[in-house]
Amino acid sequence: MEVGRVATLAALALANLPVRPFRVRETIRLIGFIGVDSLPIVLLSGLFTGAVFTVESYEAFRLFGAQGLVGGTVGVALTRELAPTLTGLLVAGRAGSALAAELGSMRVTEQIDALHAMAVDPVNYLVKPRVIAATLSVPLLTALFDAVGIAGSYAVAHWELHLSDPEFWIRLRAWVDWADIEAGLIKGTAFGFVIGVVACSRGYHTEGGARGVGLATTQAVVISSVTLLVLNYFIALALAEST
Amino acid sequence: MIDVVTGFAAAIRFEGVTKAFGSHVVLRNLDLLVPRGAITFLIGRSGTGKSVTLKHIMGLMRPDSGRIFVGDDEITAMRERELRATRNRFGMVFQHAALFDSMDVFDNVAFPLREHSRDSEAKVRSRVLDLLASVGLKGAERRAVSELSGGMRKRVGLARALVREPEFLLYDEPTTGLDPVLAAAMDQLILETQRRKPALTSLIISHDMSAVFRIADKVAMLRDGAVVVEGTPQQIRESSDPLVVQFVSGSLLGPIDASQG
Ligand SMILES: Nc1ncnc2c1ncn2[C@@H]1O[C@H](COP(=O)(O)OP(=O)(O)OP(=O)(O)O)[C@@H](O)[C@H]1O
Ligand SMILES: [Mg+2]
Repeated sequence: MEVGRVATLAALALANLPVRPFRVRETIRLIGFIGVDSLPIVLLSGLFTGAVFTVESYEAFRLFGAQGLVGGTVGVALTRELAPTLTGLLVAGRAGSALAAELGSMRVTEQIDALHAMAVDPVNYLVKPRVIAATLSVPLLTALFDAVGIAGSYAVAHWELHLSDPEFWIRLRAWVDWADIEAGLIKGTAFGFVIGVVACSRGYHTEGGARGVGLATTQAVVISSVTLLVLNYFIALALAEST
Repeated sequence: MIDVVTGFAAAIRFEGVTKAFGSHVVLRNLDLLVPRGAITFLIGRSGTGKSVTLKHIMGLMRPDSGRIFVGDDEITAMRERELRATRNRFGMVFQHAALFDSMDVFDNVAFPLREHSRDSEAKVRSRVLDLLASVGLKGAERRAVSELSGGMRKRVGLARALVREPEFLLYDEPTTGLDPVLAAAMDQLILETQRRKPALTSLIISHDMSAVFRIADKVAMLRDGAVVVEGTPQQIRESSDPLVVQFVSGSLLGPIDASQG
């Protein structure tokens, strides 16, 4: 039921991509809301994720006298896994909930019926720009998460753990290659799409007044977060097989 | 098909429409004929399915059985894409206005024009400001929807429905919640809109019997999901049907029990 609804809306949104109007301005506004406004929490989370992962793995590697592996390990974990997943979860919590609440309240106050009545397709007007904005925003935020995560890791390695710069950077350069960054960005793109369609679907199909909107909001976050974590596994599997 | 009450051709036709929500049957084998080029009032008790009837015409709700026609086109057989073409010919005032709360008053009224016409912004502006003045909202164009009173919202909704000069106008309680002077002004606006365009079809849901007697060409009364009485305002006024007499006079005595839903 739920899967069918989300899949239908996803298909409708994709089929609507070449349909006029393109709603470029609205999409840019939404990238501002989903992407730019998420910057503070994503940057802060990235910085501290890189930092804490460095402290923890340093302790483990020190047991083997292999402290030099810290930079590379943190780099790979961040770019492939932590950056896309945490960014996805943060955006689902912050923007996915807001999108579902917005569409949900439009549904219960008959604003979506009014769109239909004015011969405007709500998929074109509401869903398409939101899905595009989410799909573009999450990979961009993931890339920034990568950057600040590594900066956080370096800061801790340098000032806290007193690793030498070459020790940190050589392994990082050697271990992290384009494929890792790319894997993270592919995941981020998929997660952004999932957040967009799940949030829009929950909002669009809201039933019953204020309570329904509350329920739609919670469900949008829960469903998109869980879907994203499950999807993460399958994308990882697919990427592993393709190399 | 010809409407027997007015002698005009049918613009909108319900044929045996039934609609239930769960076990609650709202429309029960409803037959209704709305004549072209006239003002038809749909009256009936609160909760009898008047708004539901209107939503069926726009394809916002689908019947469980029965057919609905607009002109010769069957709405109930249309897919979403065809429906959109038909909806383009309609304007609708929602009972609770259904304004976009992310936009101000001006943008709400301009919305249908910006979506569907290639009119210059200057032309849109003059059209919207004219309409806002005619619904008594001069100077309110930059107010946010959230700060409007119920009556103001209703009038913005009315302006939005009229802005494209559609062929069909559906009004769901356009004057409920307005003060008597404003209500009379809105009735006058509806009447003038109708007179300006002889082929226009207006369908109005209202509880205001004085408006019915002033501007209606046809009246249909809904009860238990079907039309129980229809006629000209004159016929309704002179009817001896106890149901009609009680409804029109607003009396507690008669076949309608106010405590029953
Ligand atoms: N979406 C819906 N889901 C379930 N029941 C509904 C829905 N819409 C309407 N109903 C039910 O259908 C019945 C008719 O509702 P409707 O809104 O058409 O009444 P109405 O005649 O317009 O009343 P009023 O004069 O108070 O506006 C009501 O009993 C209502 O509970
Ligand atoms: Mg109603």
